[in-house]
Amino acid sequence: MPRPPARPSLLRALVLALVSLLVVSSLAACSSAVKEASSGSEDSGPTDGGTLRIGSTNDIVPASIFTNSSDAANTLIGAVYDSLIDYPQDSLDPQPRLATSWEVAKDGLSITLQLRDDVTFHSGREFTSKDVEFSIKTWADPTWTVQLQRTAAAVTGFDTSDPHAITLSFDHPLSNIFDLLDMLPIIDSESFDQLKEGKAYVGTGPFVFTSWTPSSKLEFTRNDDYWGDEPHLDGIEVDIVSDPQAQVSQLRSGQLDLITGASNRDLETLGKDDSYTVTPFDGSVQQIYVGADLANPDLQDVKLRQAIAYALDRQRIVDDVFRGQGTPINLPWPDYSPAYDAKANETYAYDPDKAKELVSQLGSHPTIPLAYSAGNANYEAVAQIVQSDLEAVGIKTELQPVENSQFIKQLIGGTFGGLWILQHGYAHYTPSTLAVSAYPFNADKNASHFVDKQYKEDADAAWERVDGSDSGAVEIYQRLNKDLLDNLFLIEIALLHFTVASSDQVHDLGMSKRGELDLDAAYLSK
Amino acid sequence: MTHYLLRRLPSALVVLAVASFGIFAMVRMVPGDPVSTLAGPDATPEARAAIRADLGLDQPLLTQYVHWLGQLAHLDLGTSYRIGGQVKDLVADGAVNTIVLTLTALLLASLAALVCSVLAVVLDNRWVNAALSFGNTLAIALPTFVTGLVLILLFAVVLPVLPAGGTPPDGFIARPDIAAQYLLLPAVCLALGAGAALTRFLTEALRTEMRQPYVTTARALGISRRRIVLTQALRNALPSAVTVLGIQFGTLLGGAVLVEAIFTWPGLGGLIEEAISGRDYPLVQVLLLLSVTVFVVIQLLTDVVHAWLDPRIRIGGTGS
Amino acid sequence: MSESLLDVAAPEASDPDDQFDTRRRPGIWTALGRGKGLAGLILIGVVVALGLLAPLLAPHSPTEQIPGANLVGPSGAHWFGTDEVNRDILSRTLYGIRTDLLVVFLAVPIGAAIGILVGLVSSWWSFTDVIAQRVFDLVLAFPTLILAIALTAFVGPGLRTVFFVIVAVELPVFGRLTRTSVRTVREMPYVEAAHVIGAGSLWQLRRHVLPNSLEPLLVQLAVSMSVAVFIEGAMSFLGLGVRPPQPSLGSLIRDGVRNMYDAPYFAVGPLALVVALVLGLLLVSQALAEARRR
Repeated sequence: MPRPPARPSLLRALVLALVSLLVVSSLAACSSAVKEASSGSEDSGPTDGGTLRIGSTNDIVPASIFTNSSDAANTLIGAVYDSLIDYPQDSLDPQPRLATSWEVAKDGLSITLQLRDDVTFHSGREFTSKDVEFSIKTWADPTWTVQLQRTAAAVTGFDTSDPHAITLSFDHPLSNIFDLLDMLPIIDSESFDQLKEGKAYVGTGPFVFTSWTPSSKLEFTRNDDYWGDEPHLDGIEVDIVSDPQAQVSQLRSGQLDLITGASNRDLETLGKDDSYTVTPFDGSVQQIYVGADLANPDLQDVKLRQAIAYALDRQRIVDDVFRGQGTPINLPWPDYSPAYDAKANETYAYDPDKAKELVSQLGSHPTIPLAYSAGNANYEAVAQIVQSDLEAVGIKTELQPVENSQFIKQLIGGTFGGLWILQHGYAHYTPSTLAVSAYPFNADKNASHFVDKQYKEDADAAWERVDGSDSGAVEIYQRLNKDLLDNLFLIEIALLHFTVASSDQVHDLGMSKRGELDLDAAYLSK
Repeated sequence: MTHYLLRRLPSALVVLAVASFGIFAMVRMVPGDPVSTLAGPDATPEARAAIRADLGLDQPLLTQYVHWLGQLAHLDLGTSYRIGGQVKDLVADGAVNTIVLTLTALLLASLAALVCSVLAVVLDNRWVNAALSFGNTLAIALPTFVTGLVLILLFAVVLPVLPAGGTPPDGFIARPDIAAQYLLLPAVCLALGAGAALTRFLTEALRTEMRQPYVTTARALGISRRRIVLTQALRNALPSAVTVLGIQFGTLLGGAVLVEAIFTWPGLGGLIEEAISGRDYPLVQVLLLLSVTVFVVIQLLTDVVHAWLDPRIRIGGTGS
Repeated sequence: MSESLLDVAAPEASDPDDQFDTRRRPGIWTALGRGKGLAGLILIGVVVALGLLAPLLAPHSPTEQIPGANLVGPSGAHWFGTDEVNRDILSRTLYGIRTDLLVVFLAVPIGAAIGILVGLVSSWWSFTDVIAQRVFDLVLAFPTLILAIALTAFVGPGLRTVFFVIVAVELPVFGRLTRTSVRTVREMPYVEAAHVIGAGSLWQLRRHVLPNSLEPLLVQLAVSMSVAVFIEGAMSFLGLGVRPPQPSLGSLIRDGVRNMYDAPYFAVGPLALVVALVLGLLLVSQALAEARRR
């Protein structure tokens, strides 16, 4: 039987493939990917070298690189850029960074900062006062949708006659000007077009951006000309691993050194294992809350909102979902904030009987939708506990997992039509920053459709003053607290800390108040 | 050959043309828009309007569609709204990973099928058949998310010998030994169902061949069963197996979506999920169109290869 | 996803022992009384019984949050342990079966019925036939999970979405199968003859097409049902499945994955049930397919 030529070649190809596969797998026996990924550890003090591999949940989005919206973006900003001042983790007392000293004018309408004169951008260009002006103006541009946009836009005058000093002037006093100076990264203007496309991030920070592979990884190398102490690490690699569970798997298999997205449950387990270190950062906080859309007639009666506030077993949520890593709250402020008030913070302690009584005064009301961002395990668990707590006092809810992009759209448009669960930040800064910047609290327009003359007055009064922590300010904060507690358009659940898990080879991790990893001093033990 | 291809081409093109408009319109009918995900919760209405105009989303739908077709004609896939960068590059990066994974799985599946089916037919032993049949049914019945988890648990957690996921740090070429280890678990997970289906098919085709008169003749002449299977039966059974292989390739590409999610393999599956959830229109429409195109092309190629391998179809095709 | 995979495999399956038996052709139903068919039916029967009897068997309500019982391991009080929000996993698993049964025995038949109807009606005229074929092509061109992700973007996650996806996937599968049957039957001499003597289309449908299409459709139905369990599981795995607090086998597996390291027992029950259900349906489909070709 004559053989048609095509068939044997097919067979031959298969055999060839089999052989090559065998060769490759026998090669594989020589070097193990897992062993190459991890190596033993013994800490003998800071050592130089090594690349820190960080697992991050969300990739960067160039168009919203300054919005604190992803863990990878936070790491990028923290590694590549410097700010003018730095807040310590647990206070609002500014410390020098690119600015060495500063003086606020008596009338609070300007501030003069002395700048370091030994700083260069990664491109080699010298850092001057012009760069401060450019950075503030970038943040004031609404297309970047920076949370502190209103504060940046309130800076109206720039005196850059001295390259190593700058005077900023304002239309009205800004009690949160140091918040802006802490959060604002100093951006290189020459490479700004590439920044918009995600091609280059040029700053003055300890690490130099080298590449970004979308939805895969970001790479950085050490800045050998850093003005501060030279970092120990040779470089940083941020791997985008969107599944928190996969991050844990890869940490365990030695493919990653540090992960930022582990669930509290996994953090608890990793913390018990000697091979891993779990580091909570007390100063970088977020608050989880239940929002109420007052456009829903059922939620308009404050009694129902009070009933919800009494019905929530916040301690259980902290214990069961966040594994004890958090504090139940009624008001957003951490304990070092000038607005913190221990007594007011317990106004709505867990009291299901009181909640039932309030509900019974209301008469009948229909089922209320309770939305949360789908796919987030913490929100899902909190939503289910909230639903169960509310059901126990006679408030029926229907859970609505909403896909993230739609969730944000509903938040902007204020179209939840019911309750929702989310986290907010910014309460650990000067209290006025929260009231003028954080979206759920914005007195002008917020997702709760809460409009109140008194609240707006108090928010503006807190913002437009010279000092954000003197006794006059504290008086205003007390009024703000009363506004928040009386109106309950947003029902706080708990204060949470940023926590990362790392292999025991990683040492001396830090985190800025902004929630950016501080790797200036970090090192990998051999 | 060419004639046969030409005869099949028009209907394929019609499907693609209809699909392109369908996809374009559907993508824009989905609730939620790219502007809100881009602008974030704190954007002012002016900022959002600026972004909308910047993306050309304030134009009428048909204008946008014609513009997109024009771009496509110049092989310009546009720019991603959300991820940034050229859609072309994003798709190419993802496609490399997905194709490497899928082809490896296809290779594993074909090898497994070849070995198992030949073994079953040559040995023709009751117990071997039962064992193969059982393993086969199980391999089809076990959902990918089950096998994936078990594989990770066994080989990355309990016995940490293989990576739990991710792509090789140095790429596929520089260190093929390392790359093979990264590929192994996801490829096995993906190959399992396809391999089982292929084995079933090939075993059955071989058995049918073995019932042909020429086999009886050959057996009577004293030629061993093994020799008949390897020289004759396999050759005759392969053409139809290639058709099945083609269909399996499409199935594997689809199955890759889940496997990529389980093993955090940055391929097209993750990209399409991210693109849809971010309402990244240019990226979504290209990816969906690509998915349809791949399916249509595979169907076309499978038929053509089938015709090539089996002269009866080819002759019938050109003759009519 | 696995649609064409099983589609190709199942009809080709055959038991080697029966290769000489070509004359006898018993009704395909008898295949369910022995061997593979029986094993499959038993597996399905056990799962269905567990699901139906859930209210009697389950020690707790599937949504009851038991005070203090946070992630408790397996014990006499909680055979499968408890989950992150203090619910009894055994009870959730038993009730979760019901969700999957709903998907298997409601969504698939609905999709099949619509598909058969569309297939029958469209294949009667060449014009509608072409349109229907192209539409089927288009839908089948999308991998199931990509279709699922896209549909979820429209309607949000939930059981409803799982239903939509299954109906959308099964419709063209059954539509095509019906079309093939119709065409085969119509070309048979006796049907052509009936047409010549003036028998109406409806008569042809009822008298010849439907009875002759029944067997392949039944095989496909069993295959599709097993695929439906896959789809529910995969969608829940990606977070597109049922809404909490409603349990389903897929969502329980996803919850179990989150606790893979400290609570490996979490997902064992749901995993076993999913495999049993899929395996049972697959065995039945194989038994039916083998019986057909005898």
